[in-house]
Amino acid sequence: MAQLKFIFTGTPGAGKTTAITAISDFPPVKTDMFATDELSDVKEETTVAMDFGELTLANGEKIGLYGTPGQERFRHMWEILTNGGLGLIILIDNSRPHPLDDLKVYLDSFRQFILSTGAVIGITRSDIGKDTTVEDYQKVLEKEGFILPILEADARSKSDVLMLLDMLMATVEMNNMDNQDIYNEQHYEIFSF
Amino acid sequence: MSNTTRFSLSDEAKGFILTIFDEMIDMCSGITGLVISTVDGHAVLFKFTDEPLAENRISAMTSSLLALGESLSKESRQSLCRYVIVQNADGYVITQRFGKALVLTAIADKNTNLGSLHTATRVGTEKLSSFNKT
Repeated sequence: MAQLKFIFTGTPGAGKTTAITAISDFPPVKTDMFATDELSDVKEETTVAMDFGELTLANGEKIGLYGTPGQERFRHMWEILTNGGLGLIILIDNSRPHPLDDLKVYLDSFRQFILSTGAVIGITRSDIGKDTTVEDYQKVLEKEGFILPILEADARSKSDVLMLLDMLMATVEMNNMDNQDIYNEQHYEIFSF
Repeated sequence: MSNTTRFSLSDEAKGFILTIFDEMIDMCSGITGLVISTVDGHAVLFKFTDEPLAENRISAMTSSLLALGESLSKESRQSLCRYVIVQNADGYVITQRFGKALVLTAIADKNTNLGSLHTATRVGTEKLSSFNKT
């Protein structure tokens, strides 16, 4: 049976590894290394290649959960990990100094992937960073030309992470239907001539 | 979102490392590049004998590669990934961790003997480790 592949990305420390750990059937494969930069103020280690977990649905279908490193210097892994992916969960740490700018970085970097699949935005640590609201994120999305679901989420909470995944699957399904409509329209036009 | 490493080297340390780099190149003439980076992917010091390469990208990729090597070793119920060797049509890239936070990457051309490159890297990291401890 083919495995569905979903990718978690977002700011360093937003909870990508934690989110995958919360829902994976087994302890995820991690590639954490000792942090030597500003991130070491927040946590001792950081993901430098990927996280990998798996979730089995009630119908037996398996979902591969892939986490990217957060820092832009690991962009090479972003490209590798999105290959064959069906959708993206972007986690933004609301307690960081400029979370809206952070969101723009990920929207820009994953633009083609998001447009061809789908994405949801999960806002984490919104209990600590209260200055930026969901509406502020919504405005950024509009300005960047995206219509994507946004949720406040606790990456440690299994139900919150499953909710993000559910929304992502619904979004991807809707996008596929839209694409099918476009395909049907084009198909119709081609055969009209 | 740019981060910089807090790992820094004194001028004395830089001089010592560059001497080790020269010794390694003397030992294995096919070496075209040497990069020391942190385990989380920041470039610390580098030397290229041929055309310059993007040390920042190499450092980040080295970090990913080493971490995957260590994960693969654990997954295979083995331990302590010592080296990651990438053999290419045009040469070799060999990566070895030393100390808690540093990695040495040696890049060599296709005429290099892998054994000689391996020895140069091992001897180089032993010397660098001894300095790292002092």
